[in-house]
Amino acid sequence: METATAVLNAVEYWGYAGFLTALVFLGWGMDRVEPNARTSFIFRPLLLPGVVILWPLVLWRWWQLESGRDRPHARHQPPRLWHKRFWIVFACAIPAILIFGLLVRQDGPYERPAVQLEKGQ
Amino acid sequence: MSVAYVPVQWNRNKWLYDAVLVVMVGLYIGVFLNFAPAYQDVTRPVDPQVQRARAFGSCAFFMLTVILCIGPLARLDRRFLPLLYNRRHFGVLTCFVAMAHAGFILDWYFAFSPVPQWNALLSANTSYGQVLGFPFEIFGIFALGVLIILAATSHDFWLSFLTAPVWKALHYLIYFAYAAVVAHVTFGVMQDLQNPLFGMAVALSAAAVSGLHLWAALAEPRPVSDRQETHWERVGSLSEIEEGCAKIGLLTNGDRVAVFRHEGTLSAISNACAHQNGPLGEGRIVFGCVTCPWHGFQYRLRDGRSPDPFTETVPTYNLKLEGEEIWVDNRANSPGTDVEPIVLEPSKEAPHEDA
Repeated sequence: METATAVLNAVEYWGYAGFLTALVFLGWGMDRVEPNARTSFIFRPLLLPGVVILWPLVLWRWWQLESGRDRPHARHQPPRLWHKRFWIVFACAIPAILIFGLLVRQDGPYERPAVQLEKGQ
Repeated sequence: MSVAYVPVQWNRNKWLYDAVLVVMVGLYIGVFLNFAPAYQDVTRPVDPQVQRARAFGSCAFFMLTVILCIGPLARLDRRFLPLLYNRRHFGVLTCFVAMAHAGFILDWYFAFSPVPQWNALLSANTSYGQVLGFPFEIFGIFALGVLIILAATSHDFWLSFLTAPVWKALHYLIYFAYAAVVAHVTFGVMQDLQNPLFGMAVALSAAAVSGLHLWAALAEPRPVSDRQETHWERVGSLSEIEEGCAKIGLLTNGDRVAVFRHEGTLSAISNACAHQNGPLGEGRIVFGCVTCPWHGFQYRLRDGRSPDPFTETVPTYNLKLEGEEIWVDNRANSPGTDVEPIVLEPSKEAPHEDA
C-alpha cells in the first residue's frame, strides 16, 4: 500500500511540475522557438497533456532551440540503423510471450498436482 | 503542412477514414455485447459491466493489432499506403477505447474500495515474484500509459518541435506497449479462458503482427557496399530507375538517399520527409515536385524545398555519373541547398510512361 501511495504521489507531483511548465511554455516559450505557432492559439490546449507528461523533454528541446544547439540535419536522420534488428526482436518476442503464458497455465502441459498447504480442520 | 497550426487538419479523406473507424468500433462493441453472453458459462453469468470492460479491452487489442500491421503492410505493398495516411487518428481512438476499458475495470472491481481506486489497483496484488497469479494489470497500466503518451504527442507540432527522429524514437514505445498488451491478455484473461474462440483470435493477431514485421524487416534494403575514394558511394545504375521514379540507396553512414530520374535529369534528395520521415523515394512526382506517399508533403527535386507558401526543406546530395553507374557523395548538403541536376544524354533518357 505504501509503495502504491508513493508511486501515485510521485505521479501527482510530476503532474504539478508539468502543468507549471505547460503554462509557461504554451503561453510564452512556444512563440520564441516555433515560428508556425505564433499566430495559432486554438490548438494549444491540445498540447497540454503532452507537455504535462513530457515536461523534462519539452524543457530540454526548448533549451536546445533557445541556445542554438539544435542540429537541423538531425531532422533527416531517422533511427533506421537499428530499425531492422528491432523489428526482428519484436517479431520473436510476441510469440514467445504468448507461448510462455499458455505453457504456464494451470491446465497447461506443466501443471503440477495440487498440494495441500495447510492441514484441514 | 507548415504555415500555421490548427487543432486537427481535417480533409475529406480524413473525415471518411475516421467515420469508418468509429463505425467499426461501434459495430464491434455492439456485436460483442449482444453475442458474447451466448458463449459464456451460464452457471456463472458475467455482469454487464464486466462484459463492457471485455468488449472495450478486446476492441483496443484488435485495434492495436491492426495499427501495427499497417506499417509493414505499407512497406511491402503500396496499396496499403492509404491506411497509413491517417494512422495517428486510429491511435488516438485506440487510446480512448483502452481508457474506457480501464474505466470499466476500476468502476467494477474497485468501486467500493476504502482507498482511491488507482491505489487499490496497484496494491491489490503485489505478487511480482511468481508467474502464476502475476499481477498482469501492471502490463495493462504500462500499455495504457504509452497509448496516452502517444496520443498526447500526436499533433504535428510535436513532430516539428521534437524533430522527427526524436518523435519517432518516442513512438517506438508502441512496440513495447503491444508486447505489454499481449502479456496483459496472456497472463490475464487467457489464464482462465475456456472458450477457444478468443484465444485463437489473439494467437492469430499476434502471428500476423509478428510475421509481417519479420517479413518487412527481411525485405529491407542492404547498405551500399561499393565505395570510391572516401565519400562517393555507388547507389545503382541508370537502367534501374524508370522515368518519374527513384532508386533508394542506404548509405554506409545510415542516411537514405532517393535518386530521382525526371524529364531527362537526375537529382538526389534525402529519402526522409521533413514531416514524419516518410519514404520520399517511394513518392510520385506531381507538378515537378516529389510528393511524400505518407501525407502528401512536396519538395522540389533540385533544392529539396517545399513550394511556397510552405517552408519544409530536406537535404540534397551531390551526384556524379560514370557511364551507367550513379555515385552519391554521402556528405549531405544542408536542407534546401540548390544542386544542379545531372542532365542525361538523349540516348540515356528513359522512355516516358505514355510513349
